[in-house]
Amino acid sequence: MELFEELEIALAREEVWAMLVDAEILSQCITGCETVERISETEYTLLLGTSIGPVRARFTGTIELTDLNPPESYTMLGSGKGGVVGFAKGSAKIRLQDRTVAGKTGTLLSCTLAVSVGGKLAQIGSRLVDVAARKLTTDFLSRFVALAEK
Amino acid sequence: MSIDITLTVNGREINTEVSPETTLVQLLREHLLLTGTHVGCDTSQCGACTVHLDGRAVKSCTVLAVQADGSEVTTIEGIAVAGGLHPMQAAFHQCHGLQCGFCTAGMIMSAIDLVTREDDLDEATIRKGLAGNICRCTGYHNIVKAVQMAAGQMEGRGHE
Amino acid sequence: MSETEISTIGRSVLRKEDHRFITGNGRFTDDINLPGQTYAVFVRSPLPHAEVRAVDTSEAEAAAGVVAVLTGADLAQDELGGLPCGWMITSKDGSEMKQPLHPVMAVDKVNYLGEPVAIVIAETLLEARNAAETVQVDYRELDAVVGADKAQSALQIHAEAPANTCYEWELGEREATEAAFEQASHITSLDLHNNRLIPNAIEPRAAIADYQPGTEELTLYTTSQNPHLARLILAAFVQIAPEHKLRVVSPDVGGGFGSKIMVYSEETATAWACMRIGRPVKWCADRSEAFLADAHGRDHFSHVELALDDEGTFLGLRVKTIANMGAYLSSFASSVPTYLYGTLLAGQYKTPAIYVEVDAVFTNTAPVDAYRGAGRPEASFLIERITTMAAREMDIDPAELRRRNFIQPEDFPYQTPVALEYDTGNYGVSLDKALEMSGYAEFSARQQQSVSSGKLRGIGISCYIEACGIAPSQVAGSLGAGVGLWESGEIRVNPTGNVTVLTGSHSHGQGHETTFAQLVAARFGIPIDDVQVVHGDTARLDFGMGTYGSRSIAVGGSALSVAADKIITKGCKIAAHLMETEAENIDFDQGEFKVSSSNLSKTFQEVAFAAYVPHDYPLDELEPGLTEKAFYDPANFTYPAGCHICEVEIDPDTGCVEIVNFTAVDDFGRIINPMIVEGQVHGGLAQGIGQALLENCVYDDTGQLLTGSYMDYCMPRADDLPSFNVDLTETPCTHNPLGVKGCGEAGAIGSPPAVINAITHAIGIPHMDMPATAEKVWRAIQEKRGA
Ligand code: FES
Ligand code: FES
Repeated sequence: MELFEELEIALAREEVWAMLVDAEILSQCITGCETVERISETEYTLLLGTSIGPVRARFTGTIELTDLNPPESYTMLGSGKGGVVGFAKGSAKIRLQDRTVAGKTGTLLSCTLAVSVGGKLAQIGSRLVDVAARKLTTDFLSRFVALAEK
Repeated sequence: MSIDITLTVNGREINTEVSPETTLVQLLREHLLLTGTHVGCDTSQCGACTVHLDGRAVKSCTVLAVQADGSEVTTIEGIAVAGGLHPMQAAFHQCHGLQCGFCTAGMIMSAIDLVTREDDLDEATIRKGLAGNICRCTGYHNIVKAVQMAAGQMEGRGHE
Repeated sequence: MSETEISTIGRSVLRKEDHRFITGNGRFTDDINLPGQTYAVFVRSPLPHAEVRAVDTSEAEAAAGVVAVLTGADLAQDELGGLPCGWMITSKDGSEMKQPLHPVMAVDKVNYLGEPVAIVIAETLLEARNAAETVQVDYRELDAVVGADKAQSALQIHAEAPANTCYEWELGEREATEAAFEQASHITSLDLHNNRLIPNAIEPRAAIADYQPGTEELTLYTTSQNPHLARLILAAFVQIAPEHKLRVVSPDVGGGFGSKIMVYSEETATAWACMRIGRPVKWCADRSEAFLADAHGRDHFSHVELALDDEGTFLGLRVKTIANMGAYLSSFASSVPTYLYGTLLAGQYKTPAIYVEVDAVFTNTAPVDAYRGAGRPEASFLIERITTMAAREMDIDPAELRRRNFIQPEDFPYQTPVALEYDTGNYGVSLDKALEMSGYAEFSARQQQSVSSGKLRGIGISCYIEACGIAPSQVAGSLGAGVGLWESGEIRVNPTGNVTVLTGSHSHGQGHETTFAQLVAARFGIPIDDVQVVHGDTARLDFGMGTYGSRSIAVGGSALSVAADKIITKGCKIAAHLMETEAENIDFDQGEFKVSSSNLSKTFQEVAFAAYVPHDYPLDELEPGLTEKAFYDPANFTYPAGCHICEVEIDPDTGCVEIVNFTAVDDFGRIINPMIVEGQVHGGLAQGIGQALLENCVYDDTGQLLTGSYMDYCMPRADDLPSFNVDLTETPCTHNPLGVKGCGEAGAIGSPPAVINAITHAIGIPHMDMPATAEKVWRAIQEKRGA
């Protein structure tokens, strides 16, 4: 499953970038994220409670930021294990471009997301993964914008 | 945490404590040992667990026991009429509407509900009405015949 | 007719077993509760193929209510064996099939999605579930081998099976077949995939085990189609407990369709765990587990070619099949695409030369084994599809082409080129009757009507044959199977004259308690209510082979018939003694032992009573008691056959297929209870039509199961199916005492090709793989219109 989203933020690219590598901010934007822990410059572990269709799960996951190219782009690799419900893997390629927003220098953020799931999640929820991933992404982006423009 | 509930099951008043996540089918099968109601799936799709809750067919795997608080529940064990079988039970027997018997309780409970609700029961209506109950054994042919037979008899006696 | 009346064979006696099910008094495995029982939940692999580097159970062990957490390593420590496959197959090159160890729970590698890795036992189900979530398994993911067609060039799964090949088997004459193809004036060929199915008995598998340390006796209540075989495998191969201290009980079982023949990991682990912890352990699969871990069915890729002369006479048939075994060899798996498939490729026809090659391959999918029909639906689909295709290509009516090639009544016994010898049959009669019932001659008028209302209409024929009553030991042995399947029956005439019948067959919906009672009651001339049929308990009957392969009546019924003969023989001796004459002078008829040419007689009940009150018995000639037992090993398979005709109407705008008529005319030999036989046919048809139109097991290309619930695996429901037109013809089986053949699988064997023949006819295309879903049909129609 792949999906593409883009949106404008009324904040300069460098500032957006700073937020994108801030674990605290990221955790506030992920629906159901309970804790985030930074284990290295580019790696985080997190605990996430979510539901995909009828399957409810708490994932323990890792996020790794790769291909870092500040303040322009990176790839966020995520993988989560939900015990007996299975696992999810995904990557989000984030790209920032200058864009005039409301007459000021702002940023265009684009995000390409790829997700795959396994175990019970695939067995029961595979048709619903798209929906869940889309929701997670749009939630993420709207909260991110809200925080950025606060 | 336990919650106190009171309900009527097959005409008998039951007062019991259940944990909040207990489903109605668990209450019936495990607490009350009414094992005639079966569980055939975990996505609310096979209908093996069908019982009547306040006169309507429900899938008891999808109803919490606490939701049945104050209600009247009827299971397969409770439909026989004094001195004999319910016409739907008898019709399933007469028409060979069961093989392994695992779907049968749910099928009979759904069928009674269907006959009670629908006036004009042609074959297509019966087949649609039973689409929430899976039977792997009979191919439904004789189940449809049984429902037709029982519908005739239930009409004679008035809907219960 | 009431059940208390004296029954006769051939009447639709209502079922004795019904009452408990319609009143909610059935006793299925999950209905059994034992004092002090614990609950088991399995930790299953979320990956189809991976190394298991570590299993950390510490958190689970400490969790609330947990009694024990056991892993594959614990099993290994107890030196338990793997789960065996009983049917040996020898490859073309003379080598034995590869049988990699099938561990009860994975130790260092998982090979299919859902493979059990650990068993968690707790005081409540909820506690067991919660704890199972905390078991940490460290996997190193490997590429998964998913499609059978690509398995031979994919990553090797088992060290002992290069190219993931279990065996490369052949049957028939290669050279004669090649020669036939050289003579041919017409060759029809087809590539097909026989879709993968998930059996889905509505009762999920379950087990509850109980161990008595005092007597060291282990009792396993489980959803088995063959409890004795389960006991044998658990005792002799897995070595959980010795056979004489192990009791396996199959109480009421909610459908099997093949999927409950096998001895599985979960039941085995449950029994073993019970001995380890010294308390009863209960496990009941939820539906999701059934999807993952019940043995699946079918999944063949085949290439088939039929050679004909210009009259349409079959000259030769050539088949190459790749059969998916899944990750391990399940109990019967190897026999399905060989002994139950290759041997059936003659169908109802006099094809003089047949050659079949079957490669069985391992993949990272659930084990594949027998599912209703097992091998025979695959054979019949291929033969009946290619026959119809050939007829259409040669512009011969498909019914006519079949008729031209039928084995004729005077040809029996008929030796096919693929090992079997058919004893009897009359295929033309079934075809004629089915043509008549389906209004075949008037089809074009109906088609016109459909066309004028914007619909497509098609009709399809299938003339199937199957080999049932599995399995004559000598025939199976000569094929190299290493096993054979007889059946046992025991009749106990109690002192009061009623009768307890014990059979090694097992009923999980088939109605043995009625049919077998009818059989025995009729023989003894006693009321059917005086006969109680007992089955499914190793403690009550010495041994038995269970029920599958439409074998119960032909093999189990025949055993009872032989036992009944013995009872009558002994009864005659007792009666002779009572009436002071010789046994030769006694005739037994309608429940009475009569002295010929006199009016002296004794009733069955009087003789029974005398057997247990042996006053002045000649004890050196006559033992007291009236119990007899028989083991019956059939001389041959039985060969039910018939003709199914399907007529469909298709809405070209939606691709929705409606079956407007389905006719099945089957020859099952003699019939004991027509109502039960028809019921078996209906159920089989529903599964066959389900395969043809709806059902499909799909793994994605990483090996994740996408059809893992009733939301995605499309089961036939009441509104997907029509009512059926079912009738019978009768050529009695020549080699068993009852003349019966078996009826359990015919519906699932004959119907899929009839449905696809009808759909391809309606659309005007040569072939469509199953399931013919609305989407696929719609696309085919669009493509056809575009072309
Ligand atoms: S158990 Fe299947 S619907 Fe309730
Ligand atoms: S009778 Fe077996 S599932 Fe319906």
